[in-house]
Amino acid sequence: MSDSLKAMSLGLLILLLISFPTISTEWARMTAELIEEEDDPHYGLPDIWDGKQVVCIHFPQSEAPDGYEQGRKHIDFDGSEFMSDGGWNESGACIGGFSGHDSAWSLMNTAVNATDDSFALNTTQYTFGIMVNSIAGVDPSQMSGNFSGAYWSLYHNGALSMVGVTELELDSDSVITWRVDTW
Amino acid sequence: MKCKLNLTSRGAHMLDAHAVAIGPHGMLAINIAMLSLIGWALWRAEQKMSSGSDLILLILLGAFAVSGRVLLDPIPNVQPVTVIVLLAGIHFGAPRAVALAAAVALCSNVLLGHGLWSLYQAVGWSAVGVAGAALSNRLYVDGRMAIGALAALAAVSAFAFDWIVSLSALHSLSSEVFLVYLMAGIPYDLLHAAGNVAFVAWLANPLSEIMTRHVALPAPMAVRDPVSSRV
Repeated sequence: MSDSLKAMSLGLLILLLISFPTISTEWARMTAELIEEEDDPHYGLPDIWDGKQVVCIHFPQSEAPDGYEQGRKHIDFDGSEFMSDGGWNESGACIGGFSGHDSAWSLMNTAVNATDDSFALNTTQYTFGIMVNSIAGVDPSQMSGNFSGAYWSLYHNGALSMVGVTELELDSDSVITWRVDTW
Repeated sequence: MKCKLNLTSRGAHMLDAHAVAIGPHGMLAINIAMLSLIGWALWRAEQKMSSGSDLILLILLGAFAVSGRVLLDPIPNVQPVTVIVLLAGIHFGAPRAVALAAAVALCSNVLLGHGLWSLYQAVGWSAVGVAGAALSNRLYVDGRMAIGALAALAAVSAFAFDWIVSLSALHSLSSEVFLVYLMAGIPYDLLHAAGNVAFVAWLANPLSEIMTRHVALPAPMAVRDPVSSRV
Protein backbone atom coordinates (compact mmCIF):
# COMPACT_ATOMS: atom_id res chain seq x y z
CA MET A 1 0.00 0.00 0.00
CA SER A 2 2.64 2.47 1.12
CA ASP A 3 5.03 1.89 -1.82
CA SER A 4 2.29 1.95 -4.42
CA LEU A 5 0.86 5.11 -2.82
CA LYS A 6 4.28 6.75 -3.02
CA ALA A 7 4.55 6.16 -6.76
CA MET A 8 0.91 6.97 -7.48
CA SER A 9 0.81 10.15 -5.42
CA LEU A 10 4.04 11.46 -6.89
CA GLY A 11 2.89 10.63 -10.42
CA LEU A 12 -0.47 12.32 -9.83
CA LEU A 13 1.18 15.39 -8.33
CA ILE A 14 3.62 15.75 -11.26
CA LEU A 15 0.77 15.26 -13.75
CA LEU A 16 -1.32 17.90 -11.99
CA LEU A 17 1.58 20.33 -11.86
CA ILE A 18 2.33 19.91 -15.57
CA SER A 19 -1.31 20.33 -16.57
CA PHE A 20 -2.07 22.97 -13.94
CA PRO A 21 -1.82 26.05 -16.23
CA THR A 22 -4.30 24.45 -18.64
CA ILE A 23 -6.61 23.21 -15.88
CA SER A 24 -6.69 26.53 -14.06
CA THR A 25 -7.27 28.53 -17.27
CA GLU A 26 -10.09 26.26 -18.43
CA TRP A 27 -11.63 26.21 -14.94
CA ALA A 28 -11.47 29.99 -14.71
CA ARG A 29 -13.26 30.24 -18.05
CA MET A 30 -15.91 27.74 -16.90
CA THR A 31 -16.57 29.56 -13.65
CA ALA A 32 -16.32 33.12 -15.02
CA GLU A 33 -19.12 35.55 -14.21
CA LEU A 34 -20.07 38.78 -15.93
CA ILE A 35 -19.19 42.02 -14.13
CA GLU A 36 -22.38 43.67 -12.94
CA GLU A 37 -21.21 47.12 -11.81
CA GLU A 38 -22.53 49.48 -14.47
CA ASP A 39 -19.97 52.20 -13.75
CA ASP A 40 -17.11 49.76 -14.35
CA PRO A 41 -15.57 49.99 -17.87
CA HIS A 42 -15.56 46.17 -17.75
CA TYR A 43 -19.34 46.09 -17.19
CA GLY A 44 -20.83 43.02 -18.89
CA LEU A 45 -17.44 41.43 -19.46
CA PRO A 46 -16.16 38.21 -17.81
CA ASP A 47 -14.50 38.78 -14.44
CA ILE A 48 -11.39 36.87 -15.51
CA TRP A 49 -10.57 39.90 -17.67
CA ASP A 50 -10.65 42.22 -14.68
CA GLY A 51 -7.45 44.28 -14.85
CA LYS A 52 -6.79 43.18 -18.44
CA GLN A 53 -7.19 44.89 -21.79
CA VAL A 54 -10.20 44.12 -23.98
CA VAL A 55 -11.36 44.90 -27.52
CA CYS A 56 -15.11 44.82 -28.23
CA ILE A 57 -16.57 44.94 -31.71
CA HIS A 58 -20.28 45.61 -32.01
CA PHE A 59 -21.95 45.11 -35.38
CA PRO A 60 -25.32 46.44 -36.47
CA GLN A 61 -27.52 43.37 -36.01
CA SER A 62 -28.60 43.24 -39.66
CA GLU A 63 -24.99 43.47 -40.87
CA ALA A 64 -23.33 41.14 -38.37
CA PRO A 65 -21.18 38.29 -39.71
CA ASP A 66 -22.50 34.73 -39.30
CA GLY A 67 -22.55 33.68 -35.68
CA TYR A 68 -22.45 37.20 -34.29
CA GLU A 69 -26.03 38.27 -34.93
CA GLN A 70 -27.33 37.80 -31.38
CA GLY A 71 -25.77 39.07 -28.15
CA ARG A 72 -22.08 39.21 -27.47
CA LYS A 73 -19.47 36.44 -27.56
CA HIS A 74 -16.38 36.46 -25.37
CA ILE A 75 -13.12 35.24 -26.85
CA ASP A 76 -10.01 34.83 -24.70
CA PHE A 77 -6.49 36.00 -25.59
CA ASP A 78 -5.68 32.63 -27.21
CA GLY A 79 -8.70 32.69 -29.51
CA SER A 80 -10.85 30.38 -27.34
CA GLU A 81 -14.51 31.37 -27.31
CA PHE A 82 -15.59 30.53 -23.77
CA MET A 83 -18.70 32.52 -22.98
CA SER A 84 -21.54 34.35 -24.62
CA ASP A 85 -24.00 36.87 -23.31
CA GLY A 86 -27.25 36.43 -25.22
CA GLY A 87 -28.92 39.17 -23.20
CA TRP A 88 -26.48 41.90 -24.23
CA ASN A 89 -28.26 44.61 -26.18
CA GLU A 90 -25.65 44.76 -28.95
CA SER A 91 -24.37 42.02 -31.24
CA GLY A 92 -20.74 41.17 -31.72
CA ALA A 93 -17.78 39.93 -29.75
CA CYS A 94 -15.22 40.95 -27.19
CA ILE A 95 -11.66 39.65 -27.32
CA GLY A 96 -9.83 40.12 -24.04
CA GLY A 97 -7.33 39.01 -21.46
CA PHE A 98 -4.49 41.06 -22.95
CA SER A 99 -1.89 43.10 -21.12
CA GLY A 100 1.04 45.37 -21.81
CA HIS A 101 -0.34 47.25 -24.82
CA ASP A 102 0.37 50.97 -24.72
CA SER A 103 -1.60 51.87 -27.84
CA ALA A 104 -5.03 50.88 -29.09
CA TRP A 105 -3.59 50.01 -32.49
CA SER A 106 -1.20 47.48 -30.96
CA LEU A 107 -4.02 45.93 -28.90
CA MET A 108 -6.35 45.85 -31.88
CA ASN A 109 -3.83 44.02 -34.08
CA THR A 110 -3.09 41.50 -31.33
CA ALA A 111 -6.82 40.83 -30.88
CA VAL A 112 -7.31 40.37 -34.64
CA ASN A 113 -4.36 37.96 -34.81
CA ALA A 114 -5.66 36.01 -31.79
CA THR A 115 -8.90 35.28 -33.62
CA ASP A 116 -7.20 34.05 -36.79
CA ASP A 117 -8.30 37.16 -38.66
CA SER A 118 -12.02 36.48 -38.07
CA PHE A 119 -12.19 40.21 -37.42
CA ALA A 120 -9.77 41.25 -40.16
CA LEU A 121 -9.37 44.98 -40.64
CA ASN A 122 -9.44 46.98 -43.82
CA THR A 123 -7.77 50.32 -43.26
CA THR A 124 -6.62 53.40 -45.11
CA GLN A 125 -3.54 55.34 -44.09
CA TYR A 126 -4.06 59.09 -44.11
CA THR A 127 -1.66 61.84 -43.09
CA PHE A 128 -3.62 62.29 -39.86
CA GLY A 129 -3.56 58.57 -39.06
CA ILE A 130 -5.24 55.27 -39.87
CA MET A 131 -8.92 55.07 -40.77
CA VAL A 132 -10.71 51.75 -40.23
CA ASN A 133 -12.93 51.07 -43.24
CA SER A 134 -14.23 47.63 -42.33
CA ILE A 135 -14.02 45.04 -39.58
CA ALA A 136 -14.78 41.38 -40.38
CA GLY A 137 -15.96 42.56 -43.79
CA VAL A 138 -18.57 44.90 -42.30
CA ASP A 139 -18.14 48.23 -44.12
CA PRO A 140 -20.38 51.05 -42.82
CA SER A 141 -19.86 53.08 -46.00
CA GLN A 142 -21.87 50.41 -47.85
CA MET A 143 -24.79 50.60 -45.43
CA SER A 144 -27.98 52.34 -46.32
CA GLY A 145 -30.84 53.54 -44.15
CA ASN A 146 -32.32 56.58 -42.56
CA PHE A 147 -28.97 58.32 -42.23
CA SER A 148 -26.49 60.27 -44.34
CA GLY A 149 -23.50 58.08 -43.62
CA ALA A 150 -22.02 55.57 -41.24
CA TYR A 151 -18.55 54.86 -39.94
CA TRP A 152 -16.66 52.73 -37.40
CA SER A 153 -16.21 54.83 -34.28
CA LEU A 154 -13.86 54.09 -31.42
CA TYR A 155 -14.75 54.21 -27.72
CA HIS A 156 -12.32 54.02 -24.81
CA ASN A 157 -13.70 52.81 -21.48
CA GLY A 158 -17.21 53.65 -22.64
CA ALA A 159 -16.48 57.20 -23.85
CA LEU A 160 -16.05 58.27 -27.46
CA SER A 161 -12.35 58.54 -28.19
CA MET A 162 -11.18 62.03 -29.16
CA VAL A 163 -8.12 60.64 -30.97
CA GLY A 164 -7.62 57.95 -33.60
CA VAL A 165 -6.73 54.32 -32.97
CA THR A 166 -3.02 54.89 -33.54
CA GLU A 167 -2.89 57.81 -31.12
CA LEU A 168 -5.05 56.39 -28.36
CA GLU A 169 -2.95 55.53 -25.30
CA LEU A 170 -4.23 52.72 -23.10
CA ASP A 171 -4.38 51.93 -19.41
CA SER A 172 -3.51 48.48 -18.11
CA ASP A 173 -7.23 47.59 -17.98
CA SER A 174 -8.56 49.58 -20.93
CA VAL A 175 -11.62 48.46 -22.86
CA ILE A 176 -11.78 49.74 -26.43
CA THR A 177 -15.04 49.34 -28.30
CA TRP A 178 -15.81 49.62 -31.97
CA ARG A 179 -19.37 50.32 -33.02
CA VAL A 180 -20.99 51.77 -36.12
CA ASP A 181 -22.18 55.35 -35.68
CA THR A 182 -24.12 57.40 -38.21
CA TRP A 183 -24.63 61.00 -39.14
CA MET B 1 42.06 54.40 -0.89
CA LYS B 2 38.35 54.56 -0.21
CA CYS B 3 37.64 54.87 -3.93
CA LYS B 4 39.85 51.91 -4.70
CA LEU B 5 38.07 49.77 -2.13
CA ASN B 6 34.70 50.64 -3.65
CA LEU B 7 35.87 49.68 -7.11
CA THR B 8 37.24 46.42 -5.82
CA SER B 9 33.98 45.68 -4.09
CA ARG B 10 31.96 46.46 -7.21
CA GLY B 11 34.24 44.37 -9.40
CA ALA B 12 33.97 41.42 -7.08
CA HIS B 13 30.20 41.78 -7.00
CA MET B 14 29.99 41.57 -10.77
CA LEU B 15 31.89 38.28 -10.74
CA ASP B 16 30.16 36.58 -7.83
CA ALA B 17 27.02 34.42 -7.81
CA HIS B 18 24.72 37.48 -7.85
CA ALA B 19 25.52 37.85 -11.54
CA VAL B 20 24.32 34.31 -12.36
CA ALA B 21 20.82 34.30 -13.86
CA ILE B 22 18.76 31.34 -12.62
CA GLY B 23 15.39 30.54 -14.15
CA PRO B 24 12.34 29.50 -12.11
CA HIS B 25 13.04 25.79 -12.58
CA GLY B 26 16.63 26.22 -11.49
CA MET B 27 15.49 28.17 -8.44
CA LEU B 28 12.99 25.43 -7.57
CA ALA B 29 15.74 22.79 -7.85
CA ILE B 30 17.90 24.86 -5.49
CA ASN B 31 14.99 25.19 -3.05
CA ILE B 32 14.30 21.43 -3.08
CA ALA B 33 18.01 20.75 -2.50
CA MET B 34 17.99 23.20 0.44
CA LEU B 35 14.85 21.61 1.90
CA SER B 36 16.45 18.16 1.60
CA LEU B 37 19.55 19.47 3.40
CA ILE B 38 17.45 21.01 6.18
CA GLY B 39 15.39 17.81 6.50
CA TRP B 40 18.50 15.65 6.67
CA ALA B 41 20.16 17.93 9.26
CA LEU B 42 17.04 17.97 11.45
CA TRP B 43 16.75 14.18 11.18
CA ARG B 44 20.39 13.82 12.28
CA ALA B 45 19.79 16.26 15.15
CA GLU B 46 16.74 14.26 16.25
CA GLN B 47 18.75 11.04 16.40
CA LYS B 48 20.99 12.57 19.07
CA MET B 49 18.08 13.67 21.22
CA SER B 50 16.96 11.62 24.16
CA SER B 51 13.50 10.04 23.98
CA GLY B 52 10.65 12.14 25.27
CA SER B 53 12.02 15.45 24.00
CA ASP B 54 8.61 16.36 22.66
CA LEU B 55 8.92 20.13 22.87
CA ILE B 56 12.30 20.21 21.14
CA LEU B 57 10.90 17.91 18.44
CA LEU B 58 7.95 20.26 17.94
CA ILE B 59 10.43 23.10 17.37
CA LEU B 60 12.35 20.99 14.83
CA LEU B 61 9.09 20.06 13.08
CA GLY B 62 8.12 23.72 13.03
CA ALA B 63 11.49 24.65 11.48
CA PHE B 64 11.00 21.99 8.79
CA ALA B 65 7.41 23.08 8.14
CA VAL B 66 8.38 26.76 7.81
CA SER B 67 11.33 25.88 5.54
CA GLY B 68 9.11 23.61 3.46
CA ARG B 69 6.42 26.23 3.03
CA VAL B 70 8.87 28.99 2.10
CA LEU B 71 11.08 26.90 -0.18
CA LEU B 72 8.20 25.21 -2.00
CA ASP B 73 6.42 28.53 -2.47
CA PRO B 74 7.10 28.51 -6.25
CA ILE B 75 4.81 25.44 -6.52
CA PRO B 76 1.25 26.66 -6.05
CA ASN B 77 -0.36 25.30 -2.87
CA VAL B 78 2.05 22.40 -2.36
CA GLN B 79 3.72 22.50 1.07
CA PRO B 80 4.24 20.09 3.99
CA VAL B 81 2.61 22.16 6.75
CA THR B 82 -0.85 20.57 6.60
CA VAL B 83 0.50 17.02 6.91
CA ILE B 84 2.99 17.93 9.66
CA VAL B 85 0.26 19.63 11.72
CA LEU B 86 -2.04 16.65 11.14
CA LEU B 87 0.65 14.24 12.38
CA ALA B 88 1.38 16.52 15.34
CA GLY B 89 -2.30 16.40 16.26
CA ILE B 90 -2.31 12.61 16.09
CA HIS B 91 0.81 12.13 18.23
CA PHE B 92 0.98 15.18 20.49
CA GLY B 93 -2.67 16.17 20.84
CA ALA B 94 -4.70 19.21 19.92
CA PRO B 95 -3.11 21.95 22.10
CA ARG B 96 0.42 21.36 20.81
CA ALA B 97 -0.80 20.96 17.23
CA VAL B 98 -2.62 24.29 17.50
CA ALA B 99 0.51 25.97 18.89
CA LEU B 100 2.59 24.47 16.09
CA ALA B 101 0.02 25.51 13.45
CA ALA B 102 -0.17 29.11 14.61
CA ALA B 103 3.61 29.47 15.01
CA VAL B 104 4.28 28.01 11.54
CA ALA B 105 1.66 30.31 9.97
CA LEU B 106 3.19 33.37 11.63
CA CYS B 107 6.87 32.50 11.04
CA SER B 108 6.40 31.55 7.39
CA ASN B 109 4.27 34.63 6.74
CA VAL B 110 7.03 36.86 8.07
CA LEU B 111 8.83 35.84 4.87
CA LEU B 112 5.86 35.29 2.55
CA GLY B 113 3.67 38.18 3.67
CA HIS B 114 1.84 38.75 6.92
CA GLY B 115 -1.69 40.10 7.09
CA LEU B 116 -5.29 39.32 7.89
CA TRP B 117 -4.99 35.98 6.10
CA SER B 118 -2.36 34.82 8.64
CA LEU B 119 -5.07 34.51 11.28
CA TYR B 120 -7.26 32.45 8.96
CA GLN B 121 -4.29 30.24 8.05
CA ALA B 122 -3.52 29.71 11.73
CA VAL B 123 -7.16 28.79 12.37
CA GLY B 124 -7.26 26.53 9.30
CA TRP B 125 -4.14 24.57 10.23
CA SER B 126 -5.25 24.45 13.86
CA ALA B 127 -8.51 22.85 12.74
CA VAL B 128 -6.48 20.25 10.82
CA GLY B 129 -4.42 19.53 13.95
CA VAL B 130 -7.55 19.24 16.08
CA ALA B 131 -9.08 16.84 13.53
CA GLY B 132 -5.91 14.72 13.69
CA ALA B 133 -6.08 14.64 17.49
CA ALA B 134 -9.79 13.75 17.47
CA LEU B 135 -9.29 10.91 14.99
CA SER B 136 -5.95 9.70 16.34
CA ASN B 137 -7.41 6.37 17.52
CA ARG B 138 -8.45 5.56 13.96
CA LEU B 139 -5.34 6.92 12.27
CA TYR B 140 -2.74 5.37 14.57
CA VAL B 141 -3.72 1.76 15.20
CA ASP B 142 -1.57 -0.85 16.96
CA GLY B 143 1.53 1.30 16.75
CA ARG B 144 1.19 1.86 12.99
CA MET B 145 -0.16 4.69 10.89
CA ALA B 146 -3.25 3.83 8.86
CA ILE B 147 -1.75 5.38 5.74
CA GLY B 148 -4.86 5.05 3.55
CA ALA B 149 -7.10 6.75 6.09
CA LEU B 150 -4.45 9.39 6.79
CA ALA B 151 -4.09 10.13 3.05
CA ALA B 152 -7.87 10.50 2.76
CA LEU B 153 -7.98 12.86 5.76
CA ALA B 154 -5.03 14.84 4.40
CA ALA B 155 -6.85 15.29 1.09
CA VAL B 156 -10.03 16.43 2.86
CA SER B 157 -7.94 18.70 5.09
CA ALA B 158 -6.58 20.46 2.02
CA PHE B 159 -10.07 21.54 0.98
CA ALA B 160 -11.09 22.37 4.56
CA PHE B 161 -7.98 24.50 5.14
CA ASP B 162 -8.30 26.32 1.82
CA TRP B 163 -11.97 27.08 2.40
CA ILE B 164 -11.31 28.35 5.93
CA VAL B 165 -8.58 30.65 4.57
CA SER B 166 -10.95 31.72 1.78
CA LEU B 167 -13.32 33.05 4.43
CA SER B 168 -10.93 36.00 4.71
CA ALA B 169 -12.22 37.09 1.27
CA LEU B 170 -15.56 37.86 2.91
CA HIS B 171 -13.92 41.02 4.28
CA SER B 172 -13.89 42.38 0.73
CA LEU B 173 -16.39 40.23 -1.21
CA SER B 174 -20.12 39.83 -0.90
CA SER B 175 -21.49 36.45 0.13
CA GLU B 176 -23.00 35.99 -3.38
CA VAL B 177 -19.59 36.33 -4.99
CA PHE B 178 -17.97 34.17 -2.32
CA LEU B 179 -19.29 30.90 -3.75
CA VAL B 180 -17.87 31.82 -7.15
CA TYR B 181 -14.59 32.65 -5.43
CA LEU B 182 -14.55 29.20 -3.80
CA MET B 183 -15.37 27.51 -7.10
CA ALA B 184 -12.61 29.39 -8.89
CA GLY B 185 -10.09 28.08 -6.34
CA ILE B 186 -10.88 24.39 -6.82
CA PRO B 187 -7.84 23.67 -9.08
CA TYR B 188 -5.63 25.08 -6.30
CA ASP B 189 -7.48 22.96 -3.71
CA LEU B 190 -6.88 19.87 -5.84
CA LEU B 191 -3.18 20.66 -6.03
CA HIS B 192 -3.05 21.07 -2.25
CA ALA B 193 -4.84 17.73 -1.80
CA ALA B 194 -2.50 15.93 -4.23
CA GLY B 195 0.52 17.46 -2.49
CA ASN B 196 -0.79 16.36 0.92
CA VAL B 197 -1.32 12.77 -0.28
CA ALA B 198 2.24 12.73 -1.65
CA PHE B 199 3.61 14.08 1.66
CA VAL B 200 1.62 11.42 3.57
CA ALA B 201 2.98 8.69 1.29
CA TRP B 202 6.60 9.81 1.66
CA LEU B 203 6.79 11.40 5.11
CA ALA B 204 4.04 10.00 7.33
CA ASN B 205 5.79 6.78 8.39
CA PRO B 206 9.26 8.24 9.11
CA LEU B 207 7.82 11.31 10.85
CA SER B 208 5.41 9.15 12.81
CA GLU B 209 8.27 6.93 14.05
CA ILE B 210 10.19 10.01 15.16
CA MET B 211 7.15 11.52 16.88
CA THR B 212 6.34 8.24 18.64
CA ARG B 213 9.84 8.20 20.13
CA HIS B 214 9.29 11.61 21.63
CA VAL B 215 5.73 11.42 22.88
CA ALA B 216 6.12 12.42 26.54
CA LEU B 217 5.19 9.57 28.85
CA PRO B 218 3.05 10.48 31.84
CA ALA B 219 5.20 11.23 34.86
CA PRO B 220 5.10 8.43 37.49
CA MET B 221 2.79 9.30 40.38
CA ALA B 222 3.36 8.37 44.01
CA VAL B 223 0.71 5.96 45.24
CA ARG B 224 -0.25 5.97 48.87
CA ASP B 225 -0.12 2.48 50.30
CA PRO B 226 -3.06 2.15 52.69
CA VAL B 227 -1.92 -1.29 53.85
CA SER B 228 1.50 -0.20 55.14
CA SER B 229 0.00 2.49 57.33
CA ARG B 230 -1.95 -0.15 59.20
CA VAL B 231 1.04 -2.24 60.06
